[in-house]
Amino acid sequence: MINAFTKNIVLVCCLFALSGLQQVFAQDEKNGEVTTVLTPHSSDGIFSSTASFTFAVNNTYKNAESGKISYLVTTEANKKVRADSIRVKIAGNGSGRYDFEIPGLKPGFYKINFMINVADYDDTTRKAFGIRPTEILSTHGKPADFESFWHQAKLELDKIKPEYKITELPDSAKDNRRVFKVEMKSLDGLVIRGFLTEPVTKNKNKKFAVLLGLPGYQVTLGPMFGTDPDIAIFTINIRGSGYSRDVINVRRESYIVLNLEDKNRYILRGAVMDCVRAVDFICSRPELRHDNIIAAGGSLGGFLSVATSSIDKRISFCSAANPILSDIRNLVNEVDWPFIDIRQYIKTRPDLTMEKVLDNLDYFDAKNFATNLECPTLIGMGLVDPIAPPNNVYTLYNGIRCPKHLIIFRDLGHEIGKSYNVYEGRWMRDTFALF
Amino acid sequence: MRLLKTFTKTAFLAIIFLITSKNNSFADGGFPVRPGRLLISPSVSYFFANSQWDSTGVKRPFANGGKYTSIGGTLYAEYGISRRFAAVASLPFVYNQYSQNNTKTATSSGLTDLETGIRYYLANIDFIYYFSLQGTAITPMYNNNASLGYGKEGGELKLAFSGSAPIGNLSAYFNAADGVRQYFGGNNGPIQNRWNATFGLSLDEEFENQVSATLSGINSWSTDKSFVSALPETNKNFSFIQASLSYGHSFSHEISLFLTGGEFLTGKNTGVGTTFSLAFIYRLDYR
Repeated sequence: MINAFTKNIVLVCCLFALSGLQQVFAQDEKNGEVTTVLTPHSSDGIFSSTASFTFAVNNTYKNAESGKISYLVTTEANKKVRADSIRVKIAGNGSGRYDFEIPGLKPGFYKINFMINVADYDDTTRKAFGIRPTEILSTHGKPADFESFWHQAKLELDKIKPEYKITELPDSAKDNRRVFKVEMKSLDGLVIRGFLTEPVTKNKNKKFAVLLGLPGYQVTLGPMFGTDPDIAIFTINIRGSGYSRDVINVRRESYIVLNLEDKNRYILRGAVMDCVRAVDFICSRPELRHDNIIAAGGSLGGFLSVATSSIDKRISFCSAANPILSDIRNLVNEVDWPFIDIRQYIKTRPDLTMEKVLDNLDYFDAKNFATNLECPTLIGMGLVDPIAPPNNVYTLYNGIRCPKHLIIFRDLGHEIGKSYNVYEGRWMRDTFALF
Repeated sequence: MRLLKTFTKTAFLAIIFLITSKNNSFADGGFPVRPGRLLISPSVSYFFANSQWDSTGVKRPFANGGKYTSIGGTLYAEYGISRRFAAVASLPFVYNQYSQNNTKTATSSGLTDLETGIRYYLANIDFIYYFSLQGTAITPMYNNNASLGYGKEGGELKLAFSGSAPIGNLSAYFNAADGVRQYFGGNNGPIQNRWNATFGLSLDEEFENQVSATLSGINSWSTDKSFVSALPETNKNFSFIQASLSYGHSFSHEISLFLTGGEFLTGKNTGVGTTFSLAFIYRLDYR
């Protein structure tokens, strides 16, 4: 497509210079174009055995277009798995449909590129697909002391008095909600901040279910609103993020590697404890339901949701969209981030090696938290996600032993579609009996 | 990383927007009842018939310009006991009148059949379609008054199926239920199949105004094939199908009003009824 586009641009420029714009349009119309549509024969891109696709080509040129259509299947780490090609000839003002079947692949997720190379058009269409993903298992276990590591972290947190400071912000109230700024002390005595919004109600006995909103990477979370009369929303800014940068205030790329050489000082250990402290706060409030807490977030927020729900059983519903840092040892060759920043960090510390980093990150691997989840858990993933690849997210999902549901977005990257939020809302309301 | 930031903000907005979607339809469907929620619905109804279908389904006017009217008041209540169980009860009072030309008008009035039951939330499909099962006990609140009812205790088992879905910015819902009811005592039953199907549509995003259409019917079988009155609950061997339209308005989250008008479309051994009703719904949350 780029090739054809470039040709057209050059042509347009030349003709514009020679003959004027009106004549350019006439020439462009005369030339025509080739367009393609790639359709996987599965609504979510998942196949039980043979993957199959249809590649449709439409040619509006007067002349026939000859050339080839080829595909290349690779693993998520870009290792070639399968390739093939066919010769094609698409008649002038005609079209063609070409079916491809790819049998015999092992369980897992694969990238597939379809290339068309004809006389006036070159293009590559990228998709991904999965083969029997429920059979995907990690080749790496979790540390034997994983649970005691986090138990110890919680014991340390318990020693820190929260010293909750709650300030109502009347000027910020809207959507019939009161807004409170909340400050509290977390692990290492750091002050973290969040915002609680509560529906205004005449019912003095009313207790609200709580949505605990967890932030994405370096995202500042302010108060969240909405018209739901049953839900209070508590958004938390973890240490070093948003409104909780009093002590830790580092550059964006430095955050994920902060103190990575020591698992007991690593930034995410404190960040997860900040989320547990947020649950402590919710459970300190008499107007909030302590048995109806949903932890929800996307990306790093998805990771935090899984991690916090795993180690804090007071959370009764876990929602994690595109959770990062799952099956970390298998991520190394699959994704650029955060390993670009990690490799840079290792270079600055002579005693630090990638193996030591991975040993530490085992304690922060989302899949290792997943096996301890006990509440209903919803996971969302994009099939072409370059940050939370499907192999790794599915490894996390397969490890969950409690009621779970996964929504796959076949054509999305590091994002989810509206249907995820719809399903999440419905399942949460059913779980909390908010009929 | 900009993508991460943008995504997360978007995701939260979507969460908050979408979890507000909820059902606000009239009671007695397959939807579960929120624990701690008390729904009270006082209603008044008017029934009129000046003709009947005979036992073969042939329509004919009552002799001597006869006409039946019945004005009723019903107190309906349901309470969510837990996530799965809800208690339901209804107590109707009626004032019946039958008049003919040149004949003294006959009247009767009183409490009729008290219905008390337990509804169980059976299952759902993707949290969109809900199934419930309800067991109901029927207790007559009168003695030997055929114009008020059979005067027999009974039981009913009803399966209900409900669902909702957005249509553009609006919401649609449906309720479908079928119950088998048996009256005890004696050998002439009756045994009945009672069914209804409702399709409703909100007229605004806030669900303040809604309209619905209902098709309902009763098939009642008994060895007693006599015609007592135009009122369906007085005959034992009869059938009818009724169509009705409703308009509902929510004054607040707690208070709604439903206006309903209906017409009997076809039947056997019962009156050709025209009905109107006005129902208030109060929702009170106790948790």
